[in-house]
Amino acid sequence: MDKALAFINDKRVRGLLYQAALLLGLVGLIVYFVRNASENMVKAGIASGFDFLWRTSGIEVPFVLTGYTQQDNILGLFWAGVANTMLVTVIAIALATLLGFVVGIARLSSHWLLSTIAGAYIEFVRNIPLLFFVLFWYFGVIAALPAPRDSLSVFSVAFLNNRGLTIPLPDAPANFRWALLAILLAWLAQWLVARWARLRKERTGQDAPVLTIGLVLVILVPVLAVTYASLTTRWDVPVLRGFNYRGGFVVIPEFVALLAALVTYTAGFIAEIVRGGIQAVPHGQTEAASALGLRRPQILRLVTIPQAMRIMVPPMTNQYLNVLKNSSFGAAIAYPDIVSLFMGSALTNTGQAIEIIAMTLAVYLVIGLAVSAFMNWYNARIALVTR
Amino acid sequence: MSATAAQSWRTRLFGTPATGVLTLAIGLFVLWIAVPLIRWALIDASWSGTSRNDCTAGGACWVFVRARFGQFMYGFYPPDERWRVNLAGIIFVLAGAAIVFAPARLRLKLGLAALVVLPLLGIWLLGGGLSLRPVETREWGGLMLTVFISIYSSLIAIPLGIAFALGRQSELPVIRLVSVLFIEFWRGVPIIAVIFLASLLLPLIMPGGIGIDRLARAVIGLGFVIAAYMAEAVRGGLQALPAGQREAATALGLGYWKATGFIVLPQALRISLPAMTNEFIALVKNTTLVLVVSILDLLGIAQASLADPSWVGMNMEAYAFSGTIYWLICFALSRWSRHIEMSSRRR
Repeated sequence: MDKALAFINDKRVRGLLYQAALLLGLVGLIVYFVRNASENMVKAGIASGFDFLWRTSGIEVPFVLTGYTQQDNILGLFWAGVANTMLVTVIAIALATLLGFVVGIARLSSHWLLSTIAGAYIEFVRNIPLLFFVLFWYFGVIAALPAPRDSLSVFSVAFLNNRGLTIPLPDAPANFRWALLAILLAWLAQWLVARWARLRKERTGQDAPVLTIGLVLVILVPVLAVTYASLTTRWDVPVLRGFNYRGGFVVIPEFVALLAALVTYTAGFIAEIVRGGIQAVPHGQTEAASALGLRRPQILRLVTIPQAMRIMVPPMTNQYLNVLKNSSFGAAIAYPDIVSLFMGSALTNTGQAIEIIAMTLAVYLVIGLAVSAFMNWYNARIALVTR
Repeated sequence: MSATAAQSWRTRLFGTPATGVLTLAIGLFVLWIAVPLIRWALIDASWSGTSRNDCTAGGACWVFVRARFGQFMYGFYPPDERWRVNLAGIIFVLAGAAIVFAPARLRLKLGLAALVVLPLLGIWLLGGGLSLRPVETREWGGLMLTVFISIYSSLIAIPLGIAFALGRQSELPVIRLVSVLFIEFWRGVPIIAVIFLASLLLPLIMPGGIGIDRLARAVIGLGFVIAAYMAEAVRGGLQALPAGQREAATALGLGYWKATGFIVLPQALRISLPAMTNEFIALVKNTTLVLVVSILDLLGIAQASLADPSWVGMNMEAYAFSGTIYWLICFALSRWSRHIEMSSRRR
């Protein structure tokens, strides 16, 4: 009896017992749920398996990037949704980062009024639900825009009205392909130059005019290439015919509203991260750098920003992943993203809840894991090297 | 204002030419936004009346909000029974105050008792049955529903979150793996998808004939997601606690559960309280998502009221009112969170 008690009280044995109990419980629960689900599905006459993906979808999508049409199969609908989710996520992340940096730096400004306004903006957006912003932009702002006949015109080529944003589209995109190639080559060259300059500096201690070359390669070349391509291409400029614009590309109002909501909301959170990151760099660092004779821009570029980035990367990753997940708020205004197209329309048509939910969640988990992996790699690259 | 104060304000706003120009530019921008807004919301607004025709001043039509106030607060809860909602609210507030002001040695017992009794009491008062008139959850709505979902989801989320945070720190690999999978899964998927998932899958995986209430499904779904976020908040507290605390407890002869319950958790939870409050704020904001399964909380009721043909064009009024309430709730909570963070840092 004593021996048995000692056996039970052994830490290792007890650990094994706990884990076995947890596993058994989990497996039991899953088996129970699966059995119930299959019984219920048989009773309700719902099919299972992934055959439905190759059925013709018949669902019309108002905003398509992938060339999907109503006659395509449901798998095509899935990819159209994924593309729409990615589009709004990527653009929202870029714009929110930009706005967030501006607001965050304004918050730290020594100008009292500027930092107060930035603070008010941050407190305003952070304490209101995102869904509120989505509905507000959609039903409050976009719906209140004038009808196509009285559109707000942007230099007479793009038009904003309550049916969305109509932008011109190049007729022959060939020139743009060349421009894109030129830009990619310029960026590759910049990467090589920076590498060469770093190696040379390590070897000889001499500075190379990296910044000037970099500005030419990273900014001037793309600007010239795009300008050249735009001037040599014929543009399909939207024209008002009857009640709406013809030609060009229509960015649907749902996209505009969702993007505006995501950007204004996320910028408030990014601003706080930027502020925290810059403030967390100890003042002694700046003082030491200026004691060494570095000038203001050098201090910012070589001392403050690298250290602030190190602090900012993990919370920024979280915010970017939040934008990805929050893009699903578009479902509330029927923006055709993966949730509203696939979990909404396709599920209603086929009734295959389990397969569709699993695929939709897998999209977010896979993209999320990829982003986390990339940011972890980047974080490790810029992390403090301690010896 | 004294002369020196005026002086310091002048240097602050107009110290150098560049500062002055910036001040003027921002000042004009603020006026450009604030003046029309104040005119619309206060000066040109209509306050009293009964219908849309009473809104003649050209500004905001607050008559609409007054006429709909009951709905914004209680949804379609029968007006004769609304005292039950108020009573439940008062009981919750009083119980909370009693726990906070109780002597320290009674606090834990009182808290645990309240945790068992109050949720059941709340469901009975709101839902009815046992000599109260039953009110179906379909009729619940408005601010009351926002508060209800927030509280009941966190009743699921906080215990689960603590359990999974401890599980993630466990030395036992299977328990750690299960906890990590649970946390990362729910943190990786959008809440809107989880609400859809809960409303579609929960009835499917239950044995035939057992129906789960629509609102309960949303509460459970939200509870699971927030549990994962709560777990990360609690993990922060657990990691911030010096390892010496558990080691000392073990050296005194306390086993895992006693060391955790008496030494580690009380301190870790105090450290993670601000982070947990922030998750609660996120929960309050995310309750709005129940709109997608047609449960109408405050924002949902505001949105639904726009469809009323006798009150066309009240979008701005409905958004301004509901937005202000959300802002007040979340702002107060975030101030409180910052306050406890500061006061614990000072100690």
